[in-house]
Amino acid sequence: MSPNQLTVIIPSRGMLAMLEQCLAALGRSLEAAGLREQSTVAVVDNATAPPLPPKRIAAAGAELLRLDAHHSFSQANNLAARRWPAANYLLLNNDVLLQPETIAEMLGLLERIPQAGICGARMVFPDGTLQHAGVVFGPGKKGPYHLLRAQPSHLMPRVDREFQAVTGACMLIRHELWQEMGGLDESYPFGLEDIDFCLRARQRGRRIFCCQDSESLHFESMTPGRVKLDVGSRELFMSRWQGRYTIDG
Amino acid sequence: MPKPKITGIVHTRDSAATLEAALASLAWVDELMVVDMQSRDDSVAIAQRHGAVVHQTEVAPYVEVVRNRFVAQASGDWVLVLDSDEYLSGDAPELVQSLIADKGGSYDAFALPRYNYLGEQVMLGGFRHPDYQVRLFKKGAVLWPGTLHTPPVITTGPARLWEVLPERGPHIHHRNYRDLRQLISRQLTYALRDIYPDDPAAFDFAAYLARAHQQMALRSAPEADGDLSQAMALVMAWDAVMRGLIHWDSLEPRPPLNMLDGFPRAAAQVPRWEIRLRRYLGRHLALRHLLRAVWVRLRALLPKRG
Repeated sequence: MSPNQLTVIIPSRGMLAMLEQCLAALGRSLEAAGLREQSTVAVVDNATAPPLPPKRIAAAGAELLRLDAHHSFSQANNLAARRWPAANYLLLNNDVLLQPETIAEMLGLLERIPQAGICGARMVFPDGTLQHAGVVFGPGKKGPYHLLRAQPSHLMPRVDREFQAVTGACMLIRHELWQEMGGLDESYPFGLEDIDFCLRARQRGRRIFCCQDSESLHFESMTPGRVKLDVGSRELFMSRWQGRYTIDG
Repeated sequence: MPKPKITGIVHTRDSAATLEAALASLAWVDELMVVDMQSRDDSVAIAQRHGAVVHQTEVAPYVEVVRNRFVAQASGDWVLVLDSDEYLSGDAPELVQSLIADKGGSYDAFALPRYNYLGEQVMLGGFRHPDYQVRLFKKGAVLWPGTLHTPPVITTGPARLWEVLPERGPHIHHRNYRDLRQLISRQLTYALRDIYPDDPAAFDFAAYLARAHQQMALRSAPEADGDLSQAMALVMAWDAVMRGLIHWDSLEPRPPLNMLDGFPRAAAQVPRWEIRLRRYLGRHLALRHLLRAVWVRLRALLPKRG
């Protein structure tokens, strides 16, 4: 396994047009990193009815893993990682349009900092405000939230920074860490399994960073019905982690 | 409870083009059997590469004729049957196992929903989905009558059959046709191979034309399948006309074709109310189809669980 080998995992429930834009942007980013040949792009069709058309996914350079029953975000990612093991996994949402330089920057960070196990990316909404530049934790019921979310992008310095967690919408993870932790925790219905993963990784002494050089675009929660599933996940997360993270937000 | 043993069975006849996908999707079963009808392509080599036990059998006009014999040879407690142009999804192993664990005590056979593809498009209109197929069953619980497109019999009684709701279990993915040209080619092959009545006096070309009208009205579902459903409706109408001509050509002496008289008579032979009813309830009007269509509609109104 070459150290830069990559499997990109994109779960998608419908949203074909968005997915194709996501794959096109991803292709440019892999190309710029010189990784087009040594990477696998895996689209997990999470019970779309009717199924996503295999030829269009193949035409976009991706492999397709069809699931007939609706699975959680964790299960969808874990199944794909088991099918296409690689030196690194990039979890990517289907409504994220990467900048060409983003993947090279994220991999570069993991290469520079050996203790880093996870790397996130700075992302903005279509109006240019920040969608994600790192996750911080508030006191009491507030819990984890995106730092400076919906604030003007210039408020966040363009310097790579360490956090307790980053979003799974675009998250690069080393294979050894993924294996050690058995992937994402499948007890989460949808949401916060990414933050749970980061906190568990830190318990094992791995560090987590967010690249700030480039700004990718993230539309956020585009899949219908997605937000409803957050409630159960949040309850589970808070019951497990409240009081066990550092309040830094 | 110990995990039940599952045997996967795939029937082949010159199936190299699609077999790879079918067998790859069954890699998880405990025993894999391929029943080959004297293939002249790489079907057997592909089956062996996937670790299947290959059984050779005589060429039969359709697989239903030989299914029972090979199901009896399976060593699994449960049998999962796929055609060589079908495959299962990536989560099928867990879905099949949990289906058996949850409902295998109360049911002996499961009808799985099937997605039918024409090219890249899944055909959904005109009751082409869920298109239930009895394919997962306890060994000995299902028998196929030896006639084409006749539903299998549940030997332990129809109450022991469970229809798996779409999204609640595995689907069969059926790559029926590569494209419309393949559909046309196959329909013509079937029409030419078919056996027609040999009494010239009973021949009525208008009956075939009436069937063509019916096919046009019933198969077209542009709201679900767009232009492709109209193309399919036209092919099936053309198929009816071709069958009429093939039938006529096979008769000795040839009766009058009466084409000019046949067209207006045929149009009048298909009452509008019947087309409306069949479009609403399904293509067939036998009582069991009517009851089934009403049941499917009622079930769709029930709240979805979990």
